[in-house]
Amino acid sequence: MERSIQKNGLVNLTVALVIFLAGFAVTVFAGSLAGQAASVFLGLGVLVTFVSWFQMRLEVNERLEKLELDELARSRGASLFEAKDAGSFPARNAREQFEKFILPGFAVLLLVLEAGGAWLLWYWSGKNPALLKEASATAALSLFAIFALLLFLFGRFSVTMARLENHRLLRPGASFLLAGAYVCAFTALGIAGVEAKYPDADLWVARGLGVLLGLMAVENLLTLLLELYRPRVKGKVVRPLYESRLAGLLAQPESLFTTAAQTLDYQFGFKVSETWFFQACKQNLPVLLLLQLAVLLLSTTFFFVDAGEQAVREHFGKNAGVYGPGAHWKLPWPADRIYRFRTEQIQSFAVGYTPDEQSEASSLVLWTVPHAKEENFLVGNRASATVAETGTNAAASTKPVGLISVSIPVQYQITNIADWVYNTATPEDFLTSLATREVVHYFAGSDLNEILSSGRLEAATALRERIQAAANERRLGAKIVFVGLQDIHPPNGGKSEVAKTYENVVSAGQTRLKKILDAEADAIRTNTLSEAQAFAVTNIADANRIRVVTAAYARAALFTNQIPAYEAAPSVYRQRLYLQNIAAATRDARKYILLVTNTQDVVIFDLEDKIRTDLENLNITNTP
Amino acid sequence: MKKNAITIIIASVLLVIFVLLLFTFQVRQSEVVVVSTFLKPTDTITNAGLYVKWPWPVQSINRFDQRVQTFEDKFAETYLADQSIMNASVYIGWRISDAKAFFPKFPGGSALLAQRQLETMIRSAKLESFSRHNLDDFVNSDPTKLKFDETETEIQASVQAQLTTNNYGISIEFLGIKRIGLPESVTTSVFDRMKAERNKYIADAQSHGEAEAANIKSAADRKAADLIADATADATRIQGAGEAEAAKLLGVFQQNPQLAVFELQLDALKNSMNQKSTLIFDERWSPFSLFQNVPIGPTSK
Repeated sequence: MERSIQKNGLVNLTVALVIFLAGFAVTVFAGSLAGQAASVFLGLGVLVTFVSWFQMRLEVNERLEKLELDELARSRGASLFEAKDAGSFPARNAREQFEKFILPGFAVLLLVLEAGGAWLLWYWSGKNPALLKEASATAALSLFAIFALLLFLFGRFSVTMARLENHRLLRPGASFLLAGAYVCAFTALGIAGVEAKYPDADLWVARGLGVLLGLMAVENLLTLLLELYRPRVKGKVVRPLYESRLAGLLAQPESLFTTAAQTLDYQFGFKVSETWFFQACKQNLPVLLLLQLAVLLLSTTFFFVDAGEQAVREHFGKNAGVYGPGAHWKLPWPADRIYRFRTEQIQSFAVGYTPDEQSEASSLVLWTVPHAKEENFLVGNRASATVAETGTNAAASTKPVGLISVSIPVQYQITNIADWVYNTATPEDFLTSLATREVVHYFAGSDLNEILSSGRLEAATALRERIQAAANERRLGAKIVFVGLQDIHPPNGGKSEVAKTYENVVSAGQTRLKKILDAEADAIRTNTLSEAQAFAVTNIADANRIRVVTAAYARAALFTNQIPAYEAAPSVYRQRLYLQNIAAATRDARKYILLVTNTQDVVIFDLEDKIRTDLENLNITNTP
Repeated sequence: MKKNAITIIIASVLLVIFVLLLFTFQVRQSEVVVVSTFLKPTDTITNAGLYVKWPWPVQSINRFDQRVQTFEDKFAETYLADQSIMNASVYIGWRISDAKAFFPKFPGGSALLAQRQLETMIRSAKLESFSRHNLDDFVNSDPTKLKFDETETEIQASVQAQLTTNNYGISIEFLGIKRIGLPESVTTSVFDRMKAERNKYIADAQSHGEAEAANIKSAADRKAADLIADATADATRIQGAGEAEAAKLLGVFQQNPQLAVFELQLDALKNSMNQKSTLIFDERWSPFSLFQNVPIGPTSK
């Protein structure tokens, strides 16, 4: 039996070595990061299986030596071999020396390799996140899956052997083989993830395996530290230092199953693990897994196409038809594959601007307030063409060009799904490029002021036709539903405030009208007042005329009546008139009467006007 | 025993699947596949379907997208024939026309590397083509004078010639000018010019407004002056008519000119006196002559 165990160890070593070399080769050719991590793991497995096999050999030699010595003792008498010196048991000594010196050293080496491997994997995967070669991916996936299968079969056999025969030295290698099977399976899954368009899957599997290696290093370090304080009891079977409990746990996931069962038992208060359902699940786990696999495969034999969608069915990569909404049959994966596209749905992209949430939410769109990240388009400018000259250096800056900001949403539908899928690798990007080209071309041949005003509607129609024509020419399989010039204005934002000056022109027009209206109001006022003034002057003159004529008549009548009085007493009448008039005329005048005559007195009159009292009290202050 | 049989069945099924994966491969309609035997490209498959091959590493397959692939080059500054400067970028649609020729030209047949090489060629061809054209070949309010198509054809032909000569296995399906613009400093100048143009319109509106207002005001003033002048003239005429009518009565005064003159003198005297007049009389003036020979009474003490 011992021979059989040793043979088993050798088989484990051979399998581990072959698969490590094959895995390493596949990793190098395929450039898989997860493969690198798996190779490190498999390499450690080779070392562990080698050391365990070597230790098995030493133990077998020791047993053989003991058997031979026992045989000799029985045949020649016990006294001859009673001596217990070291030289008498070379095989035992060799085993003891190996366990005393080599095994701790190997455990330390293992620790260094695990820790170093973990660090290198993390560092390397960070620097080279995508190494997997597309051409070798499928082969690498298949080979790692086969490795996983082989390691699983050999590892499972060895683990069972080790458990049945309770052979402690077979266990570490067997656990590593079985854990290696799961590592290879995960590696294959990582590569499959990359194949399924998840490019980071390989990287994340590699990192996960790196973390596993790091955990194994920590476990190894703890084992070494605990080994220092372990009580040495003679005759007690020692667990090999290089045996990883973590690898053992990975290798025997059913132990996790048992732990889960125990937890359930404790939680529910009765033996859940002894119910028929639990037992049935446990016993038929492979059948259940197979059934699940079958159901999974069966689920790939039909497909549903949603409303507004169309699907292309590829039979071994060949376009086998286009399907509308509803349920449809197909061959299982990977013979038939389905690719769905939203054909009815109106899809859109933007030319000339990048919409942002803030501006989309705003209810106000002003030229002078930035409302999206806008591009400027070059546009012809007929108004400035008169100042352009050609053939001179100065001409470069005086070309009749203008700039304009335009926001053009383009809406489209996929009308021919085969053209859309098979003619261009990135049809959405291509359609955006085509549309942008047509917009640039159209504006470059337009006049700035026309496009801002009357040419706007024509531009939208022309652009839709042009983009559609370009898409048809390139067989894109798309219908341009709508092209809108939703926002078109002179550039604004940053240092340019051209839009503001456009508004200022409109303001200036209004100001001009205001000035004219003010002047017209003034004119009306002036004319009305002057008419009134003229009317007043004429009326006053007329009144004066009437007064003069009337006064003349009155005076004439008076005079006619005065003549008889005068003629009756000329001097008296004159005197009377004189005195009446002098009294009336000088009533308000200041009068000085000199009553003394024949004197030489000099009389001085101050005839200056007196200053007004309010002027005397006038307060004058200097203001700056 | 039963458990082992199931394990073996599952393992066998999986093994068959994985071995099939090693011996077969699919080619999608959008793909072209180059089969390499011991790393030497030996066959090209362009038709979609299921194919058989020796497992890796004897035969390996290299898949390439045979659809048109697009990319946009850099928005680069370009010097034009008329000494103008313009920024331009083009978009390119290219496809792998000969996968067997394409595959060894770029490490791993990488489309990304091919695209980088292509971009270099396109930039060179673009600069060369643009340098033969003026700015108004790309921006002109007369669309018939634009030379977009001509320039695009020139660049495409130039790049395609190089690709064909060196057998890159690539064909350029189309090429278009995607964006054109001006360098930042020139853009600022254009903005300034556009603003100046608008300011011209503003000044025009302002000055025209002021001029029209002044015209309206002066016309109103002139009309007012006319009206007042007419009215003044009318007033003078009316005054004259009054005077003339009054003058007709002067004959009445001729009956006694002495009295008439005396009365006129009295009128003149009345009209010439006002509150501020200061008159100095002596006792000889009537009626102050009354102060002469006035009997002087006893002086009061």
